[in-house]
Amino acid sequence: MRVLIRGGRVIDPSRGLDAVRDVAIDGGIIRAISEQIEERGHEIIDATNCVVAPGFIDMHVHLREPGQTHKETIATGTAAAVAGGFTAVACMPNTTPAIDTPAVIAEIAQRVAQAGLARVYPIGAITQGRKGEQLAPYHELAMAGAVAFSDDGSTVENVRVLRNAALYARDVKGPFISHCIDDELHGDAVMNEGKHSAMLGLPASPRLAEDVIVARDILVAADTHKPWHIAHISTATSLDIIRWARSRSTAITCEVTPHHLLLHDDLFVDYHARAKVAPPLRGADDSAALRAAVRDGTIDVFATDHAPHTMEEKAQLLSIAPVGFSGLEVAVGAYAHAIPDLPLDRFITLLSTRPAQILGVEGGTLAVGARADVTIFGERPWTVDARTFYSKGKNTPFDGFTFERRIVATVVGGRLAYHAERGIIEPLAYA
Amino acid sequence: MQTRSAPRSLLDIDDLSRDEIALVIRRSGEFRTQLPDRSLLAGVPILNLFFEASTRTATSFTLAEQRVGADVITFAPGTSSLGKGETIADTAITLRAIGVRVIVVRHHESGFPRRLAEAFDGHVVNAGDGTRAHPTQALLDLATLHAEFGRFEGLRVAIVGDILHSRVARSNIVGMKMLGIDITLVGPPTLLPDAFAQEGVRIERDFDAVLPHVDAVMMLRIQRERIAASLLPALADYTIGYQLGTQRLRVLPKGAIILHPGPYNRGVELTDEALADPRSRYETQVTNGVFVRMAALDMLVNGSAVRA
Ligand SMILES: [Zn+2]
Repeated sequence: MRVLIRGGRVIDPSRGLDAVRDVAIDGGIIRAISEQIEERGHEIIDATNCVVAPGFIDMHVHLREPGQTHKETIATGTAAAVAGGFTAVACMPNTTPAIDTPAVIAEIAQRVAQAGLARVYPIGAITQGRKGEQLAPYHELAMAGAVAFSDDGSTVENVRVLRNAALYARDVKGPFISHCIDDELHGDAVMNEGKHSAMLGLPASPRLAEDVIVARDILVAADTHKPWHIAHISTATSLDIIRWARSRSTAITCEVTPHHLLLHDDLFVDYHARAKVAPPLRGADDSAALRAAVRDGTIDVFATDHAPHTMEEKAQLLSIAPVGFSGLEVAVGAYAHAIPDLPLDRFITLLSTRPAQILGVEGGTLAVGARADVTIFGERPWTVDARTFYSKGKNTPFDGFTFERRIVATVVGGRLAYHAERGIIEPLAYA
Repeated sequence: MQTRSAPRSLLDIDDLSRDEIALVIRRSGEFRTQLPDRSLLAGVPILNLFFEASTRTATSFTLAEQRVGADVITFAPGTSSLGKGETIADTAITLRAIGVRVIVVRHHESGFPRRLAEAFDGHVVNAGDGTRAHPTQALLDLATLHAEFGRFEGLRVAIVGDILHSRVARSNIVGMKMLGIDITLVGPPTLLPDAFAQEGVRIERDFDAVLPHVDAVMMLRIQRERIAASLLPALADYTIGYQLGTQRLRVLPKGAIILHPGPYNRGVELTDEALADPRSRYETQVTNGVFVRMAALDMLVNGSAVRA
């Protein structure tokens, strides 16, 4: 299949390119980028007034398969991914069973091939069954395709286990990814601890529950020399701890979600679980600190923590309802809305180049000869309507928000997978 | 004149306007002088739905409902599956279909009455939810204060103890702020986080410094579970800082009153002497509870304009 992306502003931070260009794709590879390319025999994507970027990679999603297909499947999750402009996602291992054996990775790979939309990079568990006790087989998992290791959804509480895991896995490719919430401090919390929880009478999680584990895991990273990534950072103090770690040249990266950049803990007045997420939405000071940390480079990556649940599950009592919400399809709009003045090359770096580097996967570039994963977006105001999501999870606290930036088209491996006007473009059946 | 339409539900005290609070308190005083006949809510089906045991509050509501002539059903599902998850809406629909017009609900989770009220086509009265609100308790506390001082504006009230876990304190803070009462919260940081400080609400850790300057002191119940949760070292340690006992009773102004929402822990947050002190209004509070609930139910069902 030959594709021509015509007349877009091509921004490739990996090569410092920012110019109006045509992009020719053939055989899944970027063949040429130049001012004008003849169009015969190509599928033409008009990118006039749009930005053409290396494909976005969301390194933190929950695809729920295997085991929780009522919430999401690899097919619906990857459809949501390409609709959100992501050509690849890394899926967290809190599936049923957990991603702690090569067999589970093989099963996922098979489903991904059947779906044929976005690429999926599995993240292996740090401990077997994510129980925090026995080490997972890192070499086996990496050979099967795991690009990183995490017990996301849980914190490895036992520091001895975590240290041994990091030492053993030091020479295995792929960073450890920490979900930083101290269980005991968090308790049965449903929201952030602060003035709102005080008057709402809801069990609340102190910022310290995150900060103390961020600090601990950074010390373990320094001690074991294992590259380490902090997931969904949400407090100002955690950012300061990361800055301190970097001043001592510990290899630490971190990510931020759109909801922590934009939303606060005042969303619980109606006692609905639609804004219940881990870590909880914090105060305005924290989200301002997070936005500043995106600008100053402390934060490496935009990640959604896409965590779909059914509406029935989210409609339960606040104490019972699960944490998280669908993020893939609103992400790009939400990030741009949160930090409208962020230079486009930085925006693309956070969504593509850095996640590719951190996971050690192909992508993050539009170099000629590179795999043709391309995201095209534009300034096209739109209002979020979760009912239209491809994801099975229709719950987002951004429902009804108006965002300015929107995905126009997503090209995966040289194939147009999504177009704003045509929707998901079903792939030819994989052989 | 009605200042706003009759509230559909009483989830917290700020579902009533200042005028409506005043009206409920005035009417409760009238009822105390002379019981109304049983026509006020004649035949109105009221369900007392208590997920959490509370003999005192349930009894007070039941008596109030019977005195205004309602048809009273009491159901105590305990912490069973009813009310969990997606059944909130289904439960509400079923109850309305049966003919229930008012649900008086107590639940162990903050916000449950609000969620129920969204789904229920009728009146919901919050009889205490989690650590959130207990509006009729606040109304009876306010009625007790008003009977004593004849006004609210400028009264100085200290609320002392486990504010963090107290729905009574939260509703009183909301109501007292509305009425211009000067509020001081007293307690240790584990039971009274700094986050409670807000406009019109002061936090003071030194009980002895506060006592000489109050018109009323509201003592909250201290539960032993707070020790296991490592929020308190020992009850004896707590009493040093926050118990109302002999020494502090001497400092409490002569004209001040002592309130306690009950049930009290004798010898913990207050002593026998404090309970026996002529300034204690504990029994008055309990008595006022029935009349305030009668007046509140009347206002919800019949509207504030009816006999204003
Ligand atoms: Zn997580």
